[in-house]
Amino acid sequence: MSERNSVLPSSLASAWEPIADQSRSNRALLLMAPLIVFELLVFVVPFFILLRISFAEESSDLVYAEGTWTLQAYVDVFTSGLLRSIVGYSFMLGIAVTLVTVVIAIFYAYAIWRSDGLIKSLLLFSVVLPLLTTLVIRTYAFQPLLSPTGTVNEILLSLGIINSSIQIVPSTVGVVIGQTYIVLPYAVLAIYSVMATMDWHVVEAARDLGASRPRSVLEVVVPQVMPGIIVASVISFAWSVGAYAAPDLLSNSISFAMQVEDLMLSGLRYPLAAAFSVVMLVLMLVCIGVLFAVLNRFGGDFELA
Amino acid sequence: MSEITLSELEKQYGETTAVEDVSVEINDGELLCLLGPSGSGKSTTLRMIAGLETPTDGEISIGEDDVTDRPAYERNTSTVFQDWALFPHKSVLENVAFGLKMRDVPAEEREERARAMLERVQMGSYDDEDPTNLSGGQKQRVALARSLAVNPDVLLLDEPLSNLDKRLREDMQIELREIHEDLEETFVHVTHDQDEAFTLADRIGIMADGNLVQVGSPNEVYENPKNRFIEGFLGDTNFIDGEVDRVTAETVHVETELGREIVLPTDEEPDIDEGAELTLSLRPEILSIDQPVSAQSDGGQTVLADGSTTNAVIGTVENVLYRGSTVRYSVSSNGTTMFVERTGASTDALTAGDDIRIDWNGADVLAFRADGTRVSL
Repeated sequence: MSERNSVLPSSLASAWEPIADQSRSNRALLLMAPLIVFELLVFVVPFFILLRISFAEESSDLVYAEGTWTLQAYVDVFTSGLLRSIVGYSFMLGIAVTLVTVVIAIFYAYAIWRSDGLIKSLLLFSVVLPLLTTLVIRTYAFQPLLSPTGTVNEILLSLGIINSSIQIVPSTVGVVIGQTYIVLPYAVLAIYSVMATMDWHVVEAARDLGASRPRSVLEVVVPQVMPGIIVASVISFAWSVGAYAAPDLLSNSISFAMQVEDLMLSGLRYPLAAAFSVVMLVLMLVCIGVLFAVLNRFGGDFELA
Repeated sequence: MSEITLSELEKQYGETTAVEDVSVEINDGELLCLLGPSGSGKSTTLRMIAGLETPTDGEISIGEDDVTDRPAYERNTSTVFQDWALFPHKSVLENVAFGLKMRDVPAEEREERARAMLERVQMGSYDDEDPTNLSGGQKQRVALARSLAVNPDVLLLDEPLSNLDKRLREDMQIELREIHEDLEETFVHVTHDQDEAFTLADRIGIMADGNLVQVGSPNEVYENPKNRFIEGFLGDTNFIDGEVDRVTAETVHVETELGREIVLPTDEEPDIDEGAELTLSLRPEILSIDQPVSAQSDGGQTVLADGSTTNAVIGTVENVLYRGSTVRYSVSSNGTTMFVERTGASTDALTAGDDIRIDWNGADVLAFRADGTRVSL
């Protein structure tokens, strides 16, 4: 303690004494305290408010009737065909974007891993570059690119690859492209950060033992970067199911986030919006649980056939 | 058949040349050691045989097939890597069975064969282990089993023993030797450790600066080195600089920095001019030490009864290095320091300051020209 006294003013040192007696884990808890308080205030407490609102009755002059209890909002969610189709659409979007993103991200991360010097820097830089523009602008940029009179169609037409222009935007394909572009940088970085710690000799050993290039990646690289793939999948999936900007700008379909906004701001039906959100949250947690369970199985040796 | 032919193999990385010119025929069932200092291109040569590097120029054939442009996975070679490169997410058994899996061997059979191979390297009880939990020696055994499990035509070993401690390394050398004798497969073993090469090799290929300098049996390269580099690399020696004084039909007289003329007997008149600079190699094992002598003894040439020429030099012991089985003395003579060795207990101990006489047989001395090439005597 004498050493500490020489560094700290005596008032601080006396404040330190009860802390120093705590066990290591208690001290770690203390360090995490600000974060825990933050999470409580901005996530846990609001979530319980949301949960409470979802069980409230609707009110004609307020956004919901305080102090009332009913399951009506949940009944409405499960009986509304519109809401059910929106759930289906949102999850379809989530799955499609996640699949496309993770596959591209594995290739992209592999390319960064295998390159060196200037090319590696350029590849890494181009991952981060899109993040410097705001999400709405880089998503909106797909409109002039992909619309029937847009750049892509013009090029394909002039090359004679297609005869009449294709409508990519507005459509679901356009949303998948736009949303993939939004989440790809995060997925690439998540996978690359794990891949960077891998030993290239292991891939060489697989090739040496008779694994073709694709097979050596599948057998050796993919299982080893599985932690990165899981993180990338969760980010892509959660973000895409709750996507707002891409469906709004690039399609005429309605996603879950757009519908909730509509219910709350236009319809002022807070209980229904809250119940819908709770249902989506539970579904999302179940999906992510399944995702973890399935992907973790691929972490070890697995049969291809 | 799995003899390997390398012809004029060359590998460049941008501006740097890793392998300049390697041509050698490796016989079926032979154990060839590529020996050289780091950066001599021996690992790159091995990786080209494995197909992990594509040669810039030259050809590689294994058996009858030209495999120069075939990728690693289409060659029936198998490599044991220096860091062993075990698959960290697979069990020991899955590691060993991996090559068989890639060859589409049914699951049951490959498991059986992998188990048998693990037994062979005495790792039978470790099949379920995570390879990252094994010790260096155990990893080495698993890596060896993994490579052998596919029944390769050629087993390539890229300094697999260099990360092991001395005792374990020596045990593994003997084990490797036994495995090689059992399997009668072609092995190419890369090492920078000359003892390892001498222990293992049927033939040694010595590499320097991207070139294969000499290939021969361990005995041949040691006794009959092609140039000064090999003589210096294979064990310790004393290099003594000198200048040719006189060449006759039977002898070469060299004026040396020892301040004495050294006479080398020759069979035929050697290809060397008078006045040329030479470096003589006096290996410690050809030098014999006489007990401390009085200063007036003549250190010059004496002709023995059988007619061979013996040379000798007088020097002062400067340092005594006790090395367990041998004692090494560094001896100063005419300002030049040489070292000689004696087995520890054979004679009375010499101490620093003693004058001794060092004798050798002139026929045992090797001579090299200024450019490093050997003078045939």
